[in-house]
Amino acid sequence: MRIAALLPELLRHLFKKPATVDYPFKKLEVPKDFRGTPFLHPEKCIVCRACVRDCPAEAIDILTVNEADKTFKMIIHNDRCIHCAQCVESCPTDALEMDELYEISAFSRWDLKAEWEFVKAVVKLKPQPSETPAPAAPAASSSETPSGGDSQAS
Amino acid sequence: MAILKTFLYLLVYPGFLFLLVYSTFCEWFDRKMYARLQNRMGPTHTGRFGILQPVADIVKLLAKEDIVPEKADRKMFSVLPVIGLALASTAMLLLPVWHFSLERPSPNSFPGDIIVLLYILSLPTLIFFLAGWSSTSFFAEIGGARVLTLLFGYEVPLFLAVLGPAVMAGSWRLAEIAHFFQQRPLLLLPNVLGFLIAVICLQAKLERTPFDIPHAETEIVGGTFTEYSGKKLALFRLMIDVEMVAGAGLLAAVFLGGFPGGVFVGLVHFVIKTLFVIFLLSVLRAVTSRIRIDQVVRFAWRYLAPLAVLQLFIILLLKGFVL
Amino acid sequence: MKYSVPIGPQHPALKEPISLRMTLDGEVIQDADIRLGYNHRGVEKVAEGRTYIQNIYLTERICGICSHSHSTCFVQGVEKLLEVEPPRRGVFIRYLVSELERVHSHLLWLGVAAHEAGFDSLFMYVWRDRELVMDLLEMISGNRVHYAINTLGGVRRDLDEGQVQKILDSLALLRKQSEYYLNIGAHEPSFVGRLAGVGRLTKQQAVDLCAVGPTARASDVPIDVRKDDPYGMYDETPFEVCTADTCDVLGRTVVRIKEVLVAYDIIEYLMRNLPAGPVAVRTPRRPKPGEAVARYEAPRGENIHYIKSNGTDKPERLKVRAPTLGNYAATVEMLKNGFLADIPLIFAAIDPCICCAERTTTLVDARTGEEKTVSFSALRALARERWKNAPLKKDAVWPF
Repeated sequence: MRIAALLPELLRHLFKKPATVDYPFKKLEVPKDFRGTPFLHPEKCIVCRACVRDCPAEAIDILTVNEADKTFKMIIHNDRCIHCAQCVESCPTDALEMDELYEISAFSRWDLKAEWEFVKAVVKLKPQPSETPAPAAPAASSSETPSGGDSQAS
Repeated sequence: MAILKTFLYLLVYPGFLFLLVYSTFCEWFDRKMYARLQNRMGPTHTGRFGILQPVADIVKLLAKEDIVPEKADRKMFSVLPVIGLALASTAMLLLPVWHFSLERPSPNSFPGDIIVLLYILSLPTLIFFLAGWSSTSFFAEIGGARVLTLLFGYEVPLFLAVLGPAVMAGSWRLAEIAHFFQQRPLLLLPNVLGFLIAVICLQAKLERTPFDIPHAETEIVGGTFTEYSGKKLALFRLMIDVEMVAGAGLLAAVFLGGFPGGVFVGLVHFVIKTLFVIFLLSVLRAVTSRIRIDQVVRFAWRYLAPLAVLQLFIILLLKGFVL
Repeated sequence: MKYSVPIGPQHPALKEPISLRMTLDGEVIQDADIRLGYNHRGVEKVAEGRTYIQNIYLTERICGICSHSHSTCFVQGVEKLLEVEPPRRGVFIRYLVSELERVHSHLLWLGVAAHEAGFDSLFMYVWRDRELVMDLLEMISGNRVHYAINTLGGVRRDLDEGQVQKILDSLALLRKQSEYYLNIGAHEPSFVGRLAGVGRLTKQQAVDLCAVGPTARASDVPIDVRKDDPYGMYDETPFEVCTADTCDVLGRTVVRIKEVLVAYDIIEYLMRNLPAGPVAVRTPRRPKPGEAVARYEAPRGENIHYIKSNGTDKPERLKVRAPTLGNYAATVEMLKNGFLADIPLIFAAIDPCICCAERTTTLVDARTGEEKTVSFSALRALARERWKNAPLKKDAVWPF
């Protein structure tokens, strides 16, 4: 039972630099692959709506602007987004990407919606990942693709 | 001329204005030391180095809504912070600052003033109890009971420890005690044990960790200050700061040799010595955790009081055989 | 003289709202009455309207500190229903994040317990070192809390060589700091004086009241789901179950710090033996109808998820039994014959994660004791009617 066990450590800290980062005057670097907010590369979107289906917070909407010209509008509701990046994974053409912004507050939720208007792209889907399981996994999964029906047809 | 000097003494230095400025500076110093010991920054952006932070806190509290509980006695509830601040400020007047030299003693230095000072410094504890009791809230009543229990623990060792150097100097007058130790500075060394005991007891009087049981935030919400808000709470905080300066000044006058040299040199001595005592208080605050009320009383009567008696014994031996 | 004290729902000692009504005799507690329901969000009902993939993110948000526990427990259950097994590399990465989460949760707890005891210096130091763990988690998964690294059939991200090396380097520093905290926690007299002998729960009481996690392990009951019912790769990972036999809050502190050191060993084993291969397999969207029960050792104890599927891509029923819910009965026992001053520490020692444990509340009529379940709209109508007609009451007495 030592009295004042913490004392030498405490006194040593008087001469060290504080561990606090003086935010907002100094900011920290975020690591690679930090999940910030999602944004769209409109030239790659094939309007399969996988992102709309998989988003847990219903934060992506795709509206049809003109059926004949094949123009669509995507709205990402950043006030509903939970930054899980499931949309980035579900997208078969890598059209969605996460950026590294984390200071995204605004005074009104209506300032947080991001919109893109674009023409539907015609893109070859990347080849499906191979189905040979790793040696330890017994049953191979059945091969239903996640992007449902309306992928490349219309 | 004497009247003007008295007013200057009461209102400017070492009176009210100096107290306001210096006690907030001491609170900043305490918070900054506490933070640096914990590897944090402490107050940084209000004023240069955050020096205006305690002032900002008090100004903020002055602007908040003032609520008196329904069942509480309105008059007593409101007047207690003012009386407390008055008591703590009065304690400062008895310290031997400015007019301390024995040739031209100041009017408020008289034999026995060390006892009066200790008595005035123990009255704020009664004020805390009354504040807790008149709040008629459950948490405040428990806080008030704990304040008095704490008083039974630390008051006797504090008195014994502070009176040790008085016995050695052979006088009950603060100015004479300080003068004695300025003539013979080596005699401060046998009093180190008494100094440490007095620092621990001062920590208990100021209700800081490890003795902040009466207003332990995580247990009884606010203790004696639960129902206080707005201007009354601002006055209580100011009172605690002034009490810290007065207590540190008492310890500096008795154990560290007083404040010699007239107005300006005396001020420098005062600042340096009280800051040293406050630094020790901050380190003590950072190094320990809060202990329970029954453990405090046991600790005080089992360790502190016997050590204070031992210190008195050493002083008596020294006085008998050496001096 | 007996009187009742309400601790909560709002109290500085509690991080989340819960109502503990204590009956006191002087400063000694005679009885405690726990009332839940202030944090109820209807997670189980919401889970019935979302697909399995969306539910991974929903279960993650049941709690902030033990988010990976709920997500992994759910994914384990769904993988049982889908009859897939994730590949070995995915399993290793998934439980690497589990062990890192255990470290971060125990360090958080140690800081909070020190703060409740008044020992703010230890609180600041421990949380500063916890930042190392949070940075590692951010590097692995992209976010400091709510890691979202699970997916059905494995994990979503892979680790490269540089990241593995960084984890091993940080481990060395963390290990040195944690051993220092074990020393301080065991030796600082004022801190130990607060923790020792407080909140006693004998071994028989712990077994009878179904205590889980470190609360039970500190009473010398060696239960740990990782050893009793191994999942993932825990059957081949060498580690020990940490127990203590002091049966009080000091024992729980020691158990948690020992678990942190054991977790460092597990993480080192995982990093040095990381197999090559894919990190996920593709899974079908619709599991066959059936039921699955998944168990997982969260930092607070045993976490149980029950999932029932009916062949569609949304679950029919999700039932979550969080570990804190299992510890409430033991808490009441621990509080009896304790001091008022010890309540925050005793309650904090079970590591309460109250929002994990909120389930449906039943209304009990205070006068007759009869129970009934009321729908939310009926409850709101009842409240509106009461406040419309109630005059301002002075000296209102709380009905007991």
